[in-house]
Amino acid sequence: VAILPAPQNLSVQSTNMKHLLMWSPVIVPGEIIYYFVEYQGEYESLYMSHIWIPSSWCSPTEGPECDITDDVTATVPYNLRVRATVGAQTSAWSTLQHPFNRNSTVLTPPVMEVTKDGFHLVIKLEDLGPQFEFLVAYWRREPGAKEHVKVVKSRGIPVHLGTMEPGAAYCVKVRTFVKAIGRHSPFSQAECVKVQGETLPLTL
Amino acid sequence: GLRRCLISMDIHHIEEAFQEIKKTIQAKDPFQNVTILSTSETLHRIKPLDVCCMTKNLLAFYVDKVFKDHQELNPQILRKISSIANSFLYMQKALRQCQEQRQCHCRDEATNATRIIHSNYDQLEARSAAIKSLGELDVFLAWIDRNHQGTSA
Repeated sequence: VAILPAPQNLSVQSTNMKHLLMWSPVIVPGEIIYYFVEYQGEYESLYMSHIWIPSSWCSPTEGPECDITDDVTATVPYNLRVRATVGAQTSAWSTLQHPFNRNSTVLTPPVMEVTKDGFHLVIKLEDLGPQFEFLVAYWRREPGAKEHVKVVKSRGIPVHLGTMEPGAAYCVKVRTFVKAIGRHSPFSQAECVKVQGETLPLTL
Repeated sequence: GLRRCLISMDIHHIEEAFQEIKKTIQAKDPFQNVTILSTSETLHRIKPLDVCCMTKNLLAFYVDKVFKDHQELNPQILRKISSIANSFLYMQKALRQCQEQRQCHCRDEATNATRIIHSNYDQLEARSAAIKSLGELDVFLAWIDRNHQGTSA
């Protein structure tokens, strides 16, 4: 009886604190392959190395990938392993070559929507989840203008930044901060809006 | 105390993890009228100056003793305990950095309070003591939260 091959090429793709374990699919013509994913945090590998914990969403799963975001919940290295099964056959475990730590996640500049509500400068930020704070910088587009900064913790709802002057243009840029890993993303491109009417001194 | 050794403790998700297993864990505690952490308000008498040392000692108590003595078969509970244990491991590392800057000095008050907790633990059989201490995690987490006002998420 042919031995079921173990999954190969394990890797983790992590962006904005969403972590996806991926591997090359095991192919057996005419058969559906199921995969079982298990993990071990640094605590288990240090103190209970025999303990492996079944992944929340992938014990079993059909596709060659697994969302491990709900499993990797501390900023420590995690060991991850996968095996394939078909019928009564089970492959050997394949273990991720290097433990994964969520502090390596790629933080991208957040998507924002800058709008005017009359003379009010309003921003709406994408909802990236509870671990994200946003640092919003905004200024009046004129030489020597002062940059204002606001930390925004609310998600997915419009936030009033300030009151604008008629005829003036205002610009906004934003970046994220994730306290659990102590890192922030690059700033987004600046977005500017202009208020109709005559230009008067700034009253922000 | 911890004020001088402010560390970024994301307690909120640990509290969430514990709340999901609290009822199940506490229901397994065979000695409901006995306590390990809250005897004579041990933790509440800790002064700010001793908070860093006490936090370090209690993290070690859980990491080196409680989580090891507890054997869990239910995967859902195992995941939550793993999440808490690995978060405590991370907090230990953060405190260790503080210690290297010599801001986590242990005075007698913290040492004695820690000794009381270990003594309470050792009076029970290890698994019973572990399940009770797990059930009292909210006492420890609330104490950390109170003493980390400036840093919790």
